[in-house]
Amino acid sequence: MGQDEKTQEEMDKQIEIFKVKKLIKNLEAARGNGTSMISLIIPPGDQISRVNKMLSDEYGTASNIKSRVNRLSVLSAITSTQQRLKLYNKCPPNGLVMYCGTVITEDGKERKVNIDFEPFRSINTSLYLCDNKFHTEDLNELLIDDEAFGFIIMDGNGCLYGTVQGSSREILHKFSVDLPKKHGRGGQSALRFARLRLEKRHNYVRKVAELATQLFVPDGQKPNVQGIVLAGSADFKSELMRSDLFDQRLHKIVVKMVDVSYGGENGFNQAIELSADSLANVKLMKEKKLLQKYFDQIAQDTGQYCFMVDDTLRGLEMGAVEDLIIWDNLEIQRYKVRNIQTQEEKVLHLTKEQEGDDKFFRDAETGAELETIDKEPLVEWFAENYKDYGCNLEFITDRSAEGTQFVKGFGGIGGTLRWKVDLAELNSLEEAANMDHGVGGDDSDDDSDDGSEYGFDDGDFGF
Amino acid sequence: MNPSASEWKPSASAASWTPGQSFSIPAPAPAPAPTPPPPKEQETGEDIDETDPLWQAVLKISGGDKAAAQKLINDPDSLTKYPEVVALLGEGGGDGDAMEVDDTEDAQLAEAVETKMQIDKPAPPPAPAPKKPAAKAAPEKAEEVVEVEPVKEGDPREHLNLVFIGHVDAGKSTLSGSILYITENVDKRTIERYEREAKELNRESWFLAFIMDTNEEERAKGKTVEVGKAHFETDVKRYTILDAPGHKNYVPNMIMGASQADIGVLVISARKGEFETGFDRGGQTREHAMLAKTLGVSYLVVVINKMDDPTVQWAKERYDECVQKIRPFLKGCGFVIKREVKFIPISGLKGANVKDEVDPSVCPWWKNCWQSGENNTKVSTLIGLLDSLEISGRDSTAPLRVPILDRYTDRGTIAMGKVESGVIRPGIKVTLMPTRAQFKVDSVWANEDPVAAARPGENILVKLSGASTDDVRKGFVMCTEPACRSVDKIICQIYVAEMPDNTKIMTAGFQAMFHAHVCEEECSIAKIFETTNAKGKVVKGARFASVGMTCICMISLAQTVPVETYGDYPFLGRFTLRTEGKTIAIGKIQKLPPKKS
Repeated sequence: MGQDEKTQEEMDKQIEIFKVKKLIKNLEAARGNGTSMISLIIPPGDQISRVNKMLSDEYGTASNIKSRVNRLSVLSAITSTQQRLKLYNKCPPNGLVMYCGTVITEDGKERKVNIDFEPFRSINTSLYLCDNKFHTEDLNELLIDDEAFGFIIMDGNGCLYGTVQGSSREILHKFSVDLPKKHGRGGQSALRFARLRLEKRHNYVRKVAELATQLFVPDGQKPNVQGIVLAGSADFKSELMRSDLFDQRLHKIVVKMVDVSYGGENGFNQAIELSADSLANVKLMKEKKLLQKYFDQIAQDTGQYCFMVDDTLRGLEMGAVEDLIIWDNLEIQRYKVRNIQTQEEKVLHLTKEQEGDDKFFRDAETGAELETIDKEPLVEWFAENYKDYGCNLEFITDRSAEGTQFVKGFGGIGGTLRWKVDLAELNSLEEAANMDHGVGGDDSDDDSDDGSEYGFDDGDFGF
Repeated sequence: MNPSASEWKPSASAASWTPGQSFSIPAPAPAPAPTPPPPKEQETGEDIDETDPLWQAVLKISGGDKAAAQKLINDPDSLTKYPEVVALLGEGGGDGDAMEVDDTEDAQLAEAVETKMQIDKPAPPPAPAPKKPAAKAAPEKAEEVVEVEPVKEGDPREHLNLVFIGHVDAGKSTLSGSILYITENVDKRTIERYEREAKELNRESWFLAFIMDTNEEERAKGKTVEVGKAHFETDVKRYTILDAPGHKNYVPNMIMGASQADIGVLVISARKGEFETGFDRGGQTREHAMLAKTLGVSYLVVVINKMDDPTVQWAKERYDECVQKIRPFLKGCGFVIKREVKFIPISGLKGANVKDEVDPSVCPWWKNCWQSGENNTKVSTLIGLLDSLEISGRDSTAPLRVPILDRYTDRGTIAMGKVESGVIRPGIKVTLMPTRAQFKVDSVWANEDPVAAARPGENILVKLSGASTDDVRKGFVMCTEPACRSVDKIICQIYVAEMPDNTKIMTAGFQAMFHAHVCEEECSIAKIFETTNAKGKVVKGARFASVGMTCICMISLAQTVPVETYGDYPFLGRFTLRTEGKTIAIGKIQKLPPKKS
């Protein structure tokens, strides 16, 4: 039981993180009228009364603002901050974060925003800012896992520098190099040729080492990563390791050297895969593991899996879904609509393109208009309601190779099931109808990016 | 960019060890050997391309009378009064005059055998050379295009590209070195030096490999990294050896080499334990054999190496065991065992069965074996076997295609590659895909000797006039018009052979490396259209594919690559997908995106 609780806790934390991420995204997008948006962060252990006093002082100062509009909005923001603060009689153990202000919405209307919450991890900053935007940098810092790993993928064609931190995988820099190959053998100039070759290689190692220092020790003091993984196909990585040119500070934190067969991104992905044991605590690896388990289910064709929105929801309704996996940037919106004529309520899940299509907002038979009662991103809805379906919720990103596959191949939503359900059979008829059957790409003139341009005529392939 | 090459001229250095110098002058080749070289084109004027639309049009105007047509062609002014001709001229005339002339020359050369007619005026401006000349040849065409066309001012002997593949430490480099040594392409002094160097490293058996492995790191570890290249020749044929690395991290390099080869030589170690590890899952024997097949080698010679090893001692049982184990697997790769696969026991280090048959006192059973034609191998030595193989499917009449393997500077930019189709000769203009840059060919070397023309199958160096090193890159394709396509999306049929351990299924968004001819590019699956599993069950609109399935899908590439559909140009239309050191899938390009107008 104890372990269950722990995982439950962990999961709650994960969802908490997800919510904060969403919040940050919303706050960052918000723009206010003049400098009337207050960001307030109180570190744990601070006194509420002290902050209150500061706010009163601030109120006094603000009443001297000349511009009437600005003055009023600043004053009202300060007042609402004070009111909010009254709800707390002492500072919560992890500190307190508060955002108040008037936001201008997309359609030009003004909306008051008052947000206060205790962060999931203790926040060690004190901040009071009145600006035309909300300041979320400190919150962002909270989200970043402190363990970052640097990667140097080095082979005969070029070098790539990347980091893996939390659930993000980032390419810092890459460059290609043109080293002489062994074109021939023998000849009088073989020695000279070999020497020039060596010199070029040496210069390349020097460049890689210098860039590594620039990228991973940016302040010239301390490396910005916990560990470094060296990867490459030929001997370059060990040459770099041996080289005096490689920064000693970085040299010390090399955690692993792995052999990969390619440079570039593919090599980066493989290097991450191969250094899994060194990076066990990094969130990206956990994500990968989760998805690998899921893919294995599919590969073995156990039938205990589902993907795409419709199938997954069907599985959820049956209570069959054990782990619900969802992409944290899933763009599907959940609409609750009501038929104006029959007052019947219905739930729709629409992608961005579908939202623009009027047909989804009309009743198929009567053509009656469907009125939108409620609209929210499906991800957020799941974050709120997943417990009702008795499943575990896991968020993933599309930063890992597996993540991209999940998002592109399975629509970014899926899950493992408790028992075998033949969803394919349930859906096969519908799916067949919906399948993409674009024909005749040969003659179309433009080559647009979305792929549906391509004709795919079965007859062409002689099956 | 590459100053190192300035001192290193292929022609100059070749002089010191030109292959075949010690040979008796080769008699004109037997079997596939071409007719005696026809007179030089430049001297005798030019021939008419029978398939040239203009020529056909003119022929029509003159009512099928060739003499009259020729007269007409000779007088371009009079031609312009015929509307058909004007239309044709307008079609082909957009590209600038100089180039057109060169182009025709090339096209005409291609048809040189069949047409006897000659004109002494500059050729008429051509329409794009036909894709399949044989298919839409003019009605008057008397004889079929002969596959093996005589090279003018070149060596008439056929040229073959061999790639040595196999597991790491199977003895590929040693065998290559051994062949070069036996064919007297390496002088004694050099060998002695290598022997000494090898001894210093306490690796005496490596001295032959040192001929091929010239880099320090390769010698230090005894592992080939880059594809080594060397030439040798016999009385009947000329060869280029491509010595591929066997280590699994260098498979990309191996692919590059094998894509240039006509014949694969799969080297297998008979030594106890080595054979087994090479053949196990994860061993390169399997992967290399599969890659060789998909990269388009016509024959696979399986060489059972290290027969002289103390654990083997030329035992027939061991040889048979190896052959038996390999055969079903090669069949699975798609080789037709009876026709395309040969087996031969060998000792690379001792040179037994390479050029001379093994001493019967050491191996009494071999004579019996080859004479009775066991395993369809009727020749006793490797070189003899190679000499007996014939390569078909080389089309010298098609537009020129030379995938560029590498380039370096030597008073100008020199590109390396193998002529896949068409004929290249100094003076013609070539288009580099995907950049579409046009360059004039200054000179062509085959086997490091300057030649006036190179047929399909030749491994050549080409000096491009006015090109900088940035203009020419590995993976480009040298073409004559119509140039090949350069695309970033393809629709293809792939067979999923293996999946990485961490991702057992292939879905849209799956990322891999794309290898086609010599280029490699990052790619991802954009969409899967349908899958067919091993039992033949077809799923349309499938979301994923797993091991053993054939699927039709769209692949999008990070950058455009020059390719063609498999149907048009097989050598530019086949590819492999690799990731995490494994060959994931092999495939054929079915369709390219529509041309931009």
